[in-house]
Amino acid sequence: MDRKLASVFWTLIVTLAVFVILIYVGGNMLGIERLMTGENPLMRFVFVIVGLLIAFLIYYSTRENKIWEVGTREVVWMAIGAALYAVFSWLFNGTVFVVPSLSQVALRPAIAIPMFFGYAFGPVVGFFTGAVGNMFGDALTGFGLYPQWSIGNGLVGFIAGMALLFKDKKKSMDTVLWIGGVLVLLAALVYYINRTLPNMMFFDVANNIFGDAPITAFAGISIIVGFLLVLIVRFAFGKNIDIATAVTWGMLGNILGIGFAAISDIWVNGYSPAAAVVGEFLPAAGPNLIFAAILVPLLVVAYAAVQKQSGR
Amino acid sequence: MLVTWRYRDRKSLIQWFDPRAWIIFYGCFLASTLFFWDIRFLTPLLIIAMIVLITSGVSWHEMRRAFLFIFGFIFIFTLFTFLTGRGGEEVYSQEHLIRRLSAPFSILGWKPTLDVTIERAFFAISQLARVFSIAIMTVLIPYSLNPALYGITFRGLGLPDKMAYAVDLTMRFIPTFGRDFQLTMDAQRARGYELDKITGGLIEQVRKFGPIIVPVTIHAIIGSEDIIDAMDLRAFGIGPRTWLQRLTYQRRDRVLIIFGGLLLAASLIVLFMGYGGFWIPEALFRIIGY
Repeated sequence: MDRKLASVFWTLIVTLAVFVILIYVGGNMLGIERLMTGENPLMRFVFVIVGLLIAFLIYYSTRENKIWEVGTREVVWMAIGAALYAVFSWLFNGTVFVVPSLSQVALRPAIAIPMFFGYAFGPVVGFFTGAVGNMFGDALTGFGLYPQWSIGNGLVGFIAGMALLFKDKKKSMDTVLWIGGVLVLLAALVYYINRTLPNMMFFDVANNIFGDAPITAFAGISIIVGFLLVLIVRFAFGKNIDIATAVTWGMLGNILGIGFAAISDIWVNGYSPAAAVVGEFLPAAGPNLIFAAILVPLLVVAYAAVQKQSGR
Repeated sequence: MLVTWRYRDRKSLIQWFDPRAWIIFYGCFLASTLFFWDIRFLTPLLIIAMIVLITSGVSWHEMRRAFLFIFGFIFIFTLFTFLTGRGGEEVYSQEHLIRRLSAPFSILGWKPTLDVTIERAFFAISQLARVFSIAIMTVLIPYSLNPALYGITFRGLGLPDKMAYAVDLTMRFIPTFGRDFQLTMDAQRARGYELDKITGGLIEQVRKFGPIIVPVTIHAIIGSEDIIDAMDLRAFGIGPRTWLQRLTYQRRDRVLIIFGGLLLAASLIVLFMGYGGFWIPEALFRIIGY
């Protein structure tokens, strides 16, 4: 590992260690309630570092690959991707549909941007697009920053870009489909078991409090609907390998990236694992998959036409 | 054509400082605000944000649209939180009723009822203070930070040249793409497309975002070739980058950074001492009769 890389790696490790020690000593040993897991603001930063470490380790283990090179083109694409994601997030945040969820998780067609940029221009561009774009989008909306969610969005683009690591796209795509399918089934199972959990419904039947309804059945199974759409795209566009690969890897990026952010809220906000999956992950990742299956192919086709025309 | 933020040189508190010092202070302020739900700790932060706003030199005419949008959004969100209690369950588990308001009608046997509770009311107030503080500080940045200094600012904050330039470009592109979005929307509307009246099933509705998202994205990618060529012609990325402007820390900048650091440290100490969580004055319960 060269000096620069080593310094990045050790900075991340040391910062993570400091946070973990603070939380362990303050929360567990000294019994300070606000430092214990659950509604713990410091945990946000722990998960930022964990997310960065995941990306770093993937990079380090495949550092010889050309997809990690960052030249002029990548710098400009990073900026364009992040700016587009920020603008679309700002315009579509919460203004399109509203599905019940635990935090401010809005249904966003903009999610197609990090997936597409990750797939078309590589994982570094994808990560920057998702993470920085989400950060600027939140800032534009005036809602402040949720750093672990920005990293989760970054991972969406990062994982979508990992498709370029594999020479045999078809084989990698099928493996990704199997992994995605298992994760989707697991999430759907958690929903099925916990669909009546009281802490994910803010409707007090006994007191008839006006307001929140439980997560709708469609939001609950939307991840299955999205996965079926991805399957249709995979096989209907079997001959256009780019469309199928972009959608399939985008799906995995969405499941793992949003999953990372939602699961972090078990420690950050003190949600139960079921509430994090059913209340946050499903209402965000499910509709995202539907957007991915429909909008990403449109972008891939349009970009292919541009490439053909410009010869670049 | 690049569209820029509404920056201009003003005699303001923000612009009195080095942009790097201001970004560091902003980061400390943001982290401190995110630590708290306690209105006693959020109030001083809101006061700081208000002082920054008042001394920003940005006229109401300039920021009217942005502020009306953001504050309208925050107000509606807070109202929604108050009506439903959503979000509050993260910080309180028990509710004390002040008054129950029931509608004089019912819909299919369901009678709309609103429970006004001490927790909901105080949570809404705390949330308003928290989000307002963050929004004020964030919204003022593009009005006050010189676009010519974006790159050198982020470089000065320790980002590598390429990352600093990418963040610089991102900030510059946002207003441009906002304009492109509006132009595309208008062009599509002229063809009979209406985003506000999208109908059909979910899949059909999703597909209808295509005529907006695809042209804006592809137009941006095509436009990027000119920028890439211009950067390549200037040998971008070949060696360490030099910047036209130079930033130098003055004493006041160091004072601001120290103040930001102290604010963050004080917030962390308060947090470690177990304070800062959602708080309701005990007296309020007695007044209400609990």
